[in-house]
Amino acid sequence: MLRKILLPSILVILAYGFWVSPDFKEISAGVAIFLFGMLTLEEGFKVFSGGTLEKILQKSTNKLYKSIGFGFVTTAIMQSSSLVSVLTISFIGAGLIGLTQGIGIILGANIGTTTGAWLMAGFGLNVKISAYAMPMLAFGVILIFQKAKSLKGIGYILAGLGFLFLGIHYMKDGFEAFKATVDLASFSVGGLKGLLIYIGIGIIATVVMQSSHATIVLILAALSVGQITYENALALTIGANIGTTITAVIGSLSSNIDGKRLAGAHFIFNIVTAVVAVLFMSQIIYAVETISAFVGIANDNHTLKLAVFDTLFKVMGVLMFIPFVDKLVNFLNKTLNTKSLKGENNFDSVKYLNDSALELPSISMAVITKETKHLYENAFEIITHGLNLQRHNIVSSMPLDEVVNKEYSKVAVDIDDFYNKKIKGIYGEIIDFSTKAQSHMAPEDIEVLYKLKLANRDIVEAVKDTKHLQKNLIKYSKSSNEHIKAQYNTMRRDLAELLRNINIISSTDEEDVMLMLLSKAKLHTKKYDILANGTLDNLIRKGLVTNEMATSLMNDSAYAYGISKNLIEMAKVIFIDNNSELKSIGEDMLISDDEVNTILDQKERT
Amino acid sequence: MSIKKFIQSATESLGLDDLQKAGKKKSIKNLLKKLRDREEEIAKSLKKKSDKKEKKELKEELDIISLQIKNGKKILEKLNS
Repeated sequence: MLRKILLPSILVILAYGFWVSPDFKEISAGVAIFLFGMLTLEEGFKVFSGGTLEKILQKSTNKLYKSIGFGFVTTAIMQSSSLVSVLTISFIGAGLIGLTQGIGIILGANIGTTTGAWLMAGFGLNVKISAYAMPMLAFGVILIFQKAKSLKGIGYILAGLGFLFLGIHYMKDGFEAFKATVDLASFSVGGLKGLLIYIGIGIIATVVMQSSHATIVLILAALSVGQITYENALALTIGANIGTTITAVIGSLSSNIDGKRLAGAHFIFNIVTAVVAVLFMSQIIYAVETISAFVGIANDNHTLKLAVFDTLFKVMGVLMFIPFVDKLVNFLNKTLNTKSLKGENNFDSVKYLNDSALELPSISMAVITKETKHLYENAFEIITHGLNLQRHNIVSSMPLDEVVNKEYSKVAVDIDDFYNKKIKGIYGEIIDFSTKAQSHMAPEDIEVLYKLKLANRDIVEAVKDTKHLQKNLIKYSKSSNEHIKAQYNTMRRDLAELLRNINIISSTDEEDVMLMLLSKAKLHTKKYDILANGTLDNLIRKGLVTNEMATSLMNDSAYAYGISKNLIEMAKVIFIDNNSELKSIGEDMLISDDEVNTILDQKERT
Repeated sequence: MSIKKFIQSATESLGLDDLQKAGKKKSIKNLLKKLRDREEEIAKSLKKKSDKKEKKELKEELDIISLQIKNGKKILEKLNS
């Protein structure tokens, strides 16, 4: 509702403003160009964020101080805390980092944003910045049109910086011209009332522009020409810092639980820092004056003093929060848990997929892989119960013959119900997410994604085959005919072995073990195929099973074969292809179908 | 010179292609070492075991490992040529 009213209201206000004041038009255009520059800059950095950034991230966020440093450096380089926040949410969602590291990055990003104020106050307002903007735009646009990804990325970064500089130029010019007609400083309000009013304006401006960086640049532009007073500018800066958390909270509404927790941390951090700043305003101003005098900032240079204030205020907040980060994490984990957000039903939903991960192809690939593993975990449960086996026995070292003897249930489990609650929804979401992710991916990534989609289909097919297999399996594994009973129990044993091996593959780091178990699984699938190895013919010829039993056995062995093949294919994609060491060689190191036949032929001969 | 050619020559002159190849070679060599160690281990326990079923299983593993080592060597040769 609010959104429906907000947008038209803003448009009407802007239109009226443009009509009455050409200078206001220039300032607004400056803000618009600046924001467009930020978007372009973000686009450019995204090109370089695949792979390398993740590696740096994992190495540089294992300690809180490193996370803070990472947040500071990335924000200072990218000049966008919102991009860093989005990336952090997607990194947490993909399981690359934990909430503690995420909070560290956000704290660092807060300090990183202060570099923008320094750049603007120290450089942007003192030189003819548009002179730098023009060549950047020209070179940037030429590079954007190139096919090579890296050149395109550099092009976006250059054009982004060009637009940022151009935006600053228009804002500055607009305010200078505006001063001749209207003196905004005459509307300044002093005291606590003024502080609160201007904090409110800062919040609104940031929510509207969706960028505290843009608000601070606007404040500095207005302050440099004396359109606002120094005291009011300080209040606006605090407001901008609160406003940015509202943007983050709104953004997190569509994200997963990790995104919500991070936005919660961001909100608590900025609100508490703002409250402390308001309470100790006079002391902070005193500290700003002292520091400014110490570093040689002129008494009337309010823009640089504002940069000092911005830095002091944010560094103070970070220092204040560092001892409480763990407590904050515990608090957020307790208050924002999956139970509090999910209704009480048995339907399982996606754990890792969230729209923020769509921003980067490497992250979207990582979350799809994780979600596929999650889907497999559910499928593992269904297949195990469908085979009337107990999960904990399969993952233990219990001899397989014993595993087969220990039943899960006396009655058949409802696989359809399991499928609807634990597979269907997640599978649908993975396919939907993959389709969305594909549009941001390069052809080589799409190929990998295609394999992942096939792995998901394999999992679903394996579950469906289990459903078909279950009916006769329950019936004949307890049959009085020892021969058919033995065949069905062998089928259960072989599938239990496969499930056990996949479980080991999923948890080991030893590449040779992975390759051995998967090659073995391939070999056994062929070896135990009773249609191919002549067992079925033998049973029929000797009249050991009835015709009905033989038909069931033939059909069901095909289902069992299908389950094995599908699970092996899935394991190849999600465990072998995703292993950093085996990525490019795993496929060639596994034994081929021809080699399987060679081994089996050798066995027959001996 | 087209941009594509420029990038290609830049990666060649910087040795980035070789870097990728070297990484692959290193992975194969590491894996081959592990496989050979394992082969030796299995061969040793094969001599010790008397149980027919266990022997059969170990023999099967040995067959698989031999093929994997053969495949690994082939990949390495290809990379070296």
